[in-house]
Formats: sequence, structure tokens, C-alpha cells
Amino acid sequence: MGFVNDVVPITITGRNPELDELLVLVARGDEAAFERLYDRLIASVFGLIRRVVRDRAQAEEVAQEVMVEVWRSAARFDPARGSAMSWVMTVAHRRAVDRVRSAQASTDRENRVAQMGGDVAYDHVAETVTTRLEGERVRRCIDGLTELQRQAVTMAYYGGYSYPEVAGLLKVPLGTVKTRMRDGLVRLRDCMGVER
Amino acid sequence: MNDEIHTLSGAYALNALPLRELGEFEGHLSRCETCTIEVRGLQATAARLGAAVAEMPPRALKSRVMAQITEVRQEPPQVEEEEEPPVAEVVPLRRRGGRWALALAAASAVAAVSIGVIAINEIQARDATIQETQSLLAAPDAVVRKVRMVGGGTATVIASGDRGKVMFTSDLPPLDASKTYQMWVIGGEQIRSAGLMDGGGVRTATVNLPAGTEHLGVTVEPAGGSQQPTTEPIMLAKVV
Repeated sequence: MGFVNDVVPITITGRNPELDELLVLVARGDEAAFERLYDRLIASVFGLIRRVVRDRAQAEEVAQEVMVEVWRSAARFDPARGSAMSWVMTVAHRRAVDRVRSAQASTDRENRVAQMGGDVAYDHVAETVTTRLEGERVRRCIDGLTELQRQAVTMAYYGGYSYPEVAGLLKVPLGTVKTRMRDGLVRLRDCMGVER
Repeated sequence: MNDEIHTLSGAYALNALPLRELGEFEGHLSRCETCTIEVRGLQATAARLGAAVAEMPPRALKSRVMAQITEVRQEPPQVEEEEEPPVAEVVPLRRRGGRWALALAAASAVAAVSIGVIAINEIQARDATIQETQSLLAAPDAVVRKVRMVGGGTATVIASGDRGKVMFTSDLPPLDASKTYQMWVIGGEQIRSAGLMDGGGVRTATVNLPAGTEHLGVTVEPAGGSQQPTTEPIMLAKVV
């Protein structure tokens, strides 16, 4: 595990007790632990935010907010409830999504979604996902999804779209999108061997 | 389990729920352990999708972050829905005495407040209690505390400023007829009676939570209740 992480810090798989321990130390005000945690997670945090927010300068701002938030609220992390990696990435994704959703009044966004049409949006997302996804395993697992599962999951996660927006873009019923997001993620989880 | 709401776990893990449904689903999560476990697994899965698009930011970002954290105060440990030692939740005995005495002194200096002691009956119809609990828990600002009582046992306090209600439930030790349990709502320098609970056993009481209330306290008082607390609280829980 240590070897894998040292060489390719992005392919952290499953639980990583060392990261969990670092975050627990951060909660006690340990700045050195925070610096190590930063080094280990920043590429994943920044990459995700950049994917959602797109604009590089804004992505840097959001990444800074996220890491400061991690410092500020580290006491909320409970290793019994999940990994440090998952906790930090959840904070990062929320902040990135907040940024793109507040950037446009919701009505603007709905209009934009209506005008874009499904095909355009999907092609764009699918292309960027295919060309930029790193990590053989993750890509292979995504390939194992049905078309609609993949669209629903990637548009929400990488595109920052809400599920009603995804439904609008893909022109499928709301209930179908909800279900595809769930069963798509469940299939990915089982494929990746994510520990629960 | 509500199947309809349960299917939202995927959208939730992807942060794809609109605000209205987000609140609803989080309320559901607080009551559904299976869903909580599923959500954790799905969030961990989503995190892997994030890690798969890793990209290094400029080095300058690190200096900015490291500089900024030296100026940011960290949050204290969270104490939600978990039982914790009395020192973490209830003000420690010595400090409590001081604080309580101080609050009392300040309160007595204020013109006598009509306290309107209300007697609270034994547990209401069970259904009503459960409904009330769920309604309080669903409030967006609901605060849930599980605290140890002085002398043993635990109490659960659920409060919502939005709903203006606080619910207290505990298995209380029996008292002799000359005494009663009395609840107090405490805000700033003011301590106001929130009602009496007679006898012992499992007691659930929902009382009004006046604006500005910071703590709910329980004391043992002479039968009939007191205008202001005359003993140290056996429980003091933050409600904000």
C-alpha cells in the first residue's frame, strides 16, 4: 500500500489507516500532520474541483477553501464512519458543486440546460471523462456500467449537475435518473472493491 | 424503509439532490442505519472517481493554505448523537456550580419573572411522542444531544429553535413525594422554569424553547417546584 501511494498518490484504494490517523491529529491542531495530509490529498482534491469548476483560478480558490475547511472542521471526522479520503473528497465535491450552482441563478441554469440539449452535454462529458480518467481500475469499472448509469453518475459527479438537471439533459424521467445514479454507484462500488 | 426515499442514496452521494430533497433525505438518514451505511460506501466510491482525475495544483497554493490555517481557529470536537463523558457535554461540577450560582444571582437581580410552572403528565400516548420526536428531528436546525446525568443514567435532548420546542427524555431515578424534577430553560442570565416531572421512570417531555435559550437544565426541587433552581442541575445540555 505504501509503495503504491508513494508512486501514484492518486490511486489510494480502500481504507488507508495512515491518512485517517493524520486527520485525527489535524483535529488536535497538529500543523505538521496537516501538511502531510495536504501533500497526500491535494492532487485528488484539486483534480476533482478542477473537473467540476473548470476555471483554473476558481478551482484554486475552491481548493484553498476546502483545505482550510478540512483544518477547521477536522474534529467532525469520525474514523468509525468512513475514511479520511472519503471525508475530504466529500467536502471538496460539495464545495465545488456549491461554486458552480451559485455561479448561476438556478433559473439561468435551467434555461441553459434546456437550450443545450442532451446530446451536446453528454458528448462533452463523455469525451473529457474518457480522455482524462486516470487509474485503470476506475476506468474499467466505469466501462462496466450501462450507458445510462455512466451518464447519470458522471454528469452528476464531474459535471456538478443535480439529478433533475441530469434528467432534463438526458430527457429521461426523474425516477429513472435517481435509480441509475444509485445502481450505477453500487456497481462501481462492487467493481472497485470499496470497503464499507 | 421507504423505498422511494431510499433510492435517493445515489444522488445524495453524488451531491445531486436539490435543496428541498436534501433536507428530507438527511432527516431520513438520521433514522435509517442501513441507508447511512449504504451512503458511506457510495461516498467512498464517489471519492475514488474524484481521485481518478487527480491533478497537481501550483505549489503556491500550499503556501497560501499553510499560511491561512495559522489564522483559522479549529472547531471543538463534535458531540452529536453520541454519548460522551459528562465533562464534554455537561459543564463540569465545579464550573457548573460557579456558573449556575452566577446565573442565579443575576436572575434574582432581575424583576421577579412570572414563571408559569406547568405540570407535565406521564408519557403521552406513545404514538404522539414518536410523531413529535420525528417532527423535531426533521427540523433543519435540530440539535440532538445524548448526555450523562449526574448520579447515573443518560438523557436525550432534541431541540429546534425553528420549531420553538425542546424534547427531553430519560429514565429518571424515583423521587420521594416531597420532591419533583423541574426543567429549566437557560439563556444568557435568565433561568426560566419549563415544567415539572414527577416521580421516576421513563419520562418524555416536550416544552417550549424561548428564543435565546442556550441550555436545558434539570434539577431536583421541593414538590410543587421552585421559582428558581435551588439545587445544582443533574443535567445541563446545550440546545444550540
